[in-house]
Amino acid sequence: MPKLLVLAALLGLAAPAHALSVRDMLGREVTLAAPPARIVSLVPSVTEILFALGAEDRLVGVTDFCDYPPAARRKPRVGGMLTPSLEVIAALRPDLVVATTEGNREETFAQLRRLGVPVYLVAAHHLADVWDAIARLGALTGREAAAGPLLAGLRARVRAVEQAVAPRPRPRVLYVLWPEPLIVPGRESLVTELIARAGGRSITAAEGSDYPRFGLEAAVARAPEVILLANHSASAGPIDRERWRGLTSVPAIRAGRLHAVDGDLLHRYGPRVVDGLERLARAIHPEAFR
Amino acid sequence: MIVEARGVGFAYPPSRPRRAHPFRLADLAFGLAPGEILGVIGPNSAGKTTLIRLLTRVLEPAAGEILLEGRPLARLDRAEVARRVAVVPQGVPPQFPFSVEELVLMGRFPHAPARYFEDAADRAVAHGAMAAAGVLELAALPLDSLSGGERQRAVIARALAQEPRLLVLDEPTAHLDLRHQAEAATLLRRLNRERGVSMLLVSHDLNFAAEVCDRLLLLAAGRPVRLGTPEEVLEAPVLEAVYGCEVHVEKSAASRRPVVQVVWPDARGR
Amino acid sequence: MSPRARLAAALGVLTLVLLAVAALALFLGGAAISPRAVLAALAGRAGAQSVESVVTLSIRLPRIAVAALAGGALAVAGVAFQALTRNPLAEPSVLGVSGGAAFGVVIAQSLGLGFGVLGAAGLTAFAFAGAVVAAGAVYLIAGAGRLSVQTLLLAGVIVGLFFASAITVVISLLDVNRLGGVIYWLLGNLGTLPPASLGLFALSAAAGLGLVLVHARELNLLALGEEAAQQLGVDADRLKIRIFAGAALLTASVVAFAGPIGFVGLIVPHALRMLLGADNRLLVPAAFVGGASFLLAADTLARSIVAPGELSVGVITSFCGAPVFVWLLRTRYRALL
Repeated sequence: MPKLLVLAALLGLAAPAHALSVRDMLGREVTLAAPPARIVSLVPSVTEILFALGAEDRLVGVTDFCDYPPAARRKPRVGGMLTPSLEVIAALRPDLVVATTEGNREETFAQLRRLGVPVYLVAAHHLADVWDAIARLGALTGREAAAGPLLAGLRARVRAVEQAVAPRPRPRVLYVLWPEPLIVPGRESLVTELIARAGGRSITAAEGSDYPRFGLEAAVARAPEVILLANHSASAGPIDRERWRGLTSVPAIRAGRLHAVDGDLLHRYGPRVVDGLERLARAIHPEAFR
Repeated sequence: MIVEARGVGFAYPPSRPRRAHPFRLADLAFGLAPGEILGVIGPNSAGKTTLIRLLTRVLEPAAGEILLEGRPLARLDRAEVARRVAVVPQGVPPQFPFSVEELVLMGRFPHAPARYFEDAADRAVAHGAMAAAGVLELAALPLDSLSGGERQRAVIARALAQEPRLLVLDEPTAHLDLRHQAEAATLLRRLNRERGVSMLLVSHDLNFAAEVCDRLLLLAAGRPVRLGTPEEVLEAPVLEAVYGCEVHVEKSAASRRPVVQVVWPDARGR
Repeated sequence: MSPRARLAAALGVLTLVLLAVAALALFLGGAAISPRAVLAALAGRAGAQSVESVVTLSIRLPRIAVAALAGGALAVAGVAFQALTRNPLAEPSVLGVSGGAAFGVVIAQSLGLGFGVLGAAGLTAFAFAGAVVAAGAVYLIAGAGRLSVQTLLLAGVIVGLFFASAITVVISLLDVNRLGGVIYWLLGNLGTLPPASLGLFALSAAAGLGLVLVHARELNLLALGEEAAQQLGVDADRLKIRIFAGAALLTASVVAFAGPIGFVGLIVPHALRMLLGADNRLLVPAAFVGGASFLLAADTLARSIVAPGELSVGVITSFCGAPVFVWLLRTRYRALL
């Protein structure tokens, strides 16, 4: 406890010199004493972005789930996304913590602010948000020079995908985040937009919130032509096709178009989301990418 | 002999510390003739309840043996014992959810444990038992709605439905007011006379036991002290030694059975 | 009316109710299929690969079977456990067994077993393993061999709490993407089962039901108190163990195949007791059929109210169950007064 009090006092004293005031992605105002040099990332997506920007030297702490790139695993760990250790974070003396409201807890932010540590929140429901996040983190870490080309490259790849699939008819796609119970991406989910850009039509695109629970028979009634099963573990076994085999009225089943996709690529909003987009497009329009 | 106990001994295992002083039953020997009413009396913790448990094979004797109609009790299985010996407990647990008839029909279980529902013969026996105990009109009523006396008679009916050779009654007058005590005495004597039911009656109420029983067995600290007629057993010096207080024994003018009265300690001081 | 006749009448009425609810469940659902199409599919007149055939025969029908089996099993487990502990508030989840089974499944899902080829079989195996561990713990704590019913209740609650905390720990360690699925599963997940799993479920539920049914008459005698029951010829120790095993088997099966679902084991026995009395020989079979209707109705509601989305069935049973239970409590007490 005394350690934290001293830290808070020091941070307070260090204040004015080159004070920055920025707005995070949720519109909250965040005041920093100086450009951040010791950043703790509580979001795997943000970790990936920082590494892609070449700003990893400023990264002093990551979560247990920050596993990409491999170098990220060598960074000091602060715990899980829901249960990071405040002591470990404080001991790293960060001047900025980057977090998200989808995966981290409000309580964590409150506690960090009480310790005098600024918290910058990110959130992404659309591809535009991903570009925005990359640009902002680039500005925060003074790596605008890297952000520019990175974004240009990513946008070019997205355009390439869109052009390749543009002339083709758009099949109905069912994306399965979790099979039992059936959980699908809805209106607010990034995956829904990615499926659209990959040349597909998600049959659950109009459903509420970001990952609603859905009825299997409603999915069957909408006759998807492609079914994508999200894979979450690195050590994934072969897909369980048995569960789906009996649904013979579904075009996707009859045509054998049941694919596994890497969940990490599609649910994190770092640069690899474009890798995910490309894999989606390949699964939905294999002929376009031969 | 309906029941014969020979040199029976028992001790509760030390892992059940219910008593400050470990309890032992020893050298218990008595016989109960057919049609006889035997009363078992004695102070608290004398072994009366333990005796009931031994007779119904809830507990096994550590020494000696018990014979039921000449056959060793240990060789009979639970259902066989239940067909011959019926226990009338002090009552039923609170919030008992069944009716009088359903309770009485439970007494038919030992006769056909494998049967799912009781058959017509079972129901006939149950009816007879309820009539004998005087609760036939109450058959459909839930047990919880009856008075203490009625409940006691329903429990007796259940025991009768077992068609036992021996009825064991555990404190039949506990919780009963005077009128119901008198009714219970009448009922028991009638059952004994008309149906020839042998009975073993455990009671702390000396006068009730004296009235109703043919013979008494006086227990103290797990050992038998006296076995004989009420006149032989209920003698002041014997009772004073066992109960540790001053008593006065008279002969009742009406029934010529002994009546025991406690001499209250304060009275002498005044 | 003799008990046999009352049982026949009760079963007759309850079966009709079950058939009515099942019929309704066949016609309702997130995929808008006309009643005529449903009937055509049932009669085999619709194409094998048509939407109505697939939805009716491969999705709705199996799901109806699962819901009915789960409801029946939970209700019977409730009756058994209430009779065993002579406590009207005893519910299968208080056994501790559902907590253990749920923990087993959460572990399996977090290890990614829900996806692999092992899929359902692996999940079920973990659920039963968790159930066995929990049941064993409760059994040992409560006195192994000479079960004390008061300790049984306490032990069940403690073991259940322990596994609930363990589940919370696992959840806090999981990453966000897996979180949603596991949490939904913990609210009850009645879904379509492949025929092999359905068969296994039916088998284990039948075994549990049989174990309890065979001892229904002795359970009545247990209400007299253990010593009095023994004096009537009941082997009380053996009876307690068998009833506990039966209730545990029924509960574990449901959790393994349909996730943890509460309130059924509390509501259905009490409602039936108000109608049929306390005789377990009537209650046990009636609970099986009545419980099936109840859960089937709840599940049909859960998958139709917010169609095409779905609610977890546990939400319906809790929302409807709690007020119904309060109402039952008040009317029963009024009767006793």
